[in-house]
Amino acid sequence: MTGLRAASLGVPFEPVPGFVGTDLPATADFRTVKDPWTGGEIYVVPALRPRWALLHVQEADARGNARILGSPGYDLLMAAAADQVILTAERIVETEELARTPDRTGITDLTVAAVVEAPGGARPGDCPGHYDVDEDAIRRYLDAARTSEGLAAYLDAER
Amino acid sequence: MKSPPERSSVGTGPAARVPDDVRAAADQVVVTLARLVRDGEVTCHGVNSIVPALALMLARQGQAPNARQISIGGGLDGAPRTLPRSSSGSGWLSGSPVILSNVDVYQLALRGRVDLMLLGCVQVDERGRVNSTVIGSFDRPQVRLPGGGGAAVLFQVVRRIVVYRTRHEPRALPIAVDFVTATGNLERVVTPLAVFRATPGGLKLEGLQPGAKLDEVRARTGFPVDPTDDWAPVAPPTVAERHLLERLDPDRLRDLDFQ
Repeated sequence: MTGLRAASLGVPFEPVPGFVGTDLPATADFRTVKDPWTGGEIYVVPALRPRWALLHVQEADARGNARILGSPGYDLLMAAAADQVILTAERIVETEELARTPDRTGITDLTVAAVVEAPGGARPGDCPGHYDVDEDAIRRYLDAARTSEGLAAYLDAER
Repeated sequence: MKSPPERSSVGTGPAARVPDDVRAAADQVVVTLARLVRDGEVTCHGVNSIVPALALMLARQGQAPNARQISIGGGLDGAPRTLPRSSSGSGWLSGSPVILSNVDVYQLALRGRVDLMLLGCVQVDERGRVNSTVIGSFDRPQVRLPGGGGAAVLFQVVRRIVVYRTRHEPRALPIAVDFVTATGNLERVVTPLAVFRATPGGLKLEGLQPGAKLDEVRARTGFPVDPTDDWAPVAPPTVAERHLLERLDPDRLRDLDFQ
């Protein structure tokens, strides 16, 4: 999260409390810097700037303004950190519909490169307002994904 | 709420196939965690956290009615009638006046606004350091684990951390973990056999779960077991706790992690 936030702010790294005494910084090249005011040491995490963020939303207009219902998780941060965003949407709506309640629009078209109408695009995960987690489908996927042939067959069947 | 609980529409749960000792272990760990919640505390549970989520639900209906419950799925004080199968899905948004993104939840924690977090782990060592990353070496792992999910930070910004194990075995409770995923404000470790309290001298045995013997705990713990001066048996679930568990988790989802 810290790396994405650094990218979203256009800075090369961001300080974060924690990590002291753990083995994680060594595995991810997190380093410490000195607080210029207090002299205290704090870990910094390098910016994580994805080329693309691929997000599934409930409603988007054709230009890429979009609404996420339920928890946005990390989606808004990913959209802000990535160079460009591809949206898949349960439903394509008119811009006028979003304009009626603009406070509910979380993603602006300024960073969106493409919008795909893809109802069911979050399956077998959940999409609040549309469908819940499909546990049986997740189990089928886990079984199928043990082999590459199984995975290919699964993807064909779900298409 | 006097009407009989509704059954979850998704599956029927593990139900009758689960042996009695597994069911007892699950109940005991959940009630032990729930009793640690103090009234008024801001608490948080993460993803894949059936046991912590149920313990917090139980505490809020028991001794800690004013405890606040943040679900990583975005709910604050969510009040689903029964335990949702997914601890990160929208079930925890039921009754919540707000939706918190994962970023919001971390920010609350980073700002010091979370008092208590309950979470599972794969290994916890004598010094209260937790491993959720890897068994074996990081570069040549025997088992790659799911990762800490922010624990390396949360352990140092959340006031009280309580971890639990669904099984009490030597390799889960070693002298030193294979990899330090998180260390910091760990306060207690709860297992089906024992409760350990973190002290400046390391984890000490504070409680024995019902039916457990000190010799058995020693034999099944990888580090030397040293009781605290005030160590005592832990009470089994009370009648009230049993009734609450039955109502909140009628499908016994809590057993899943203990099998």
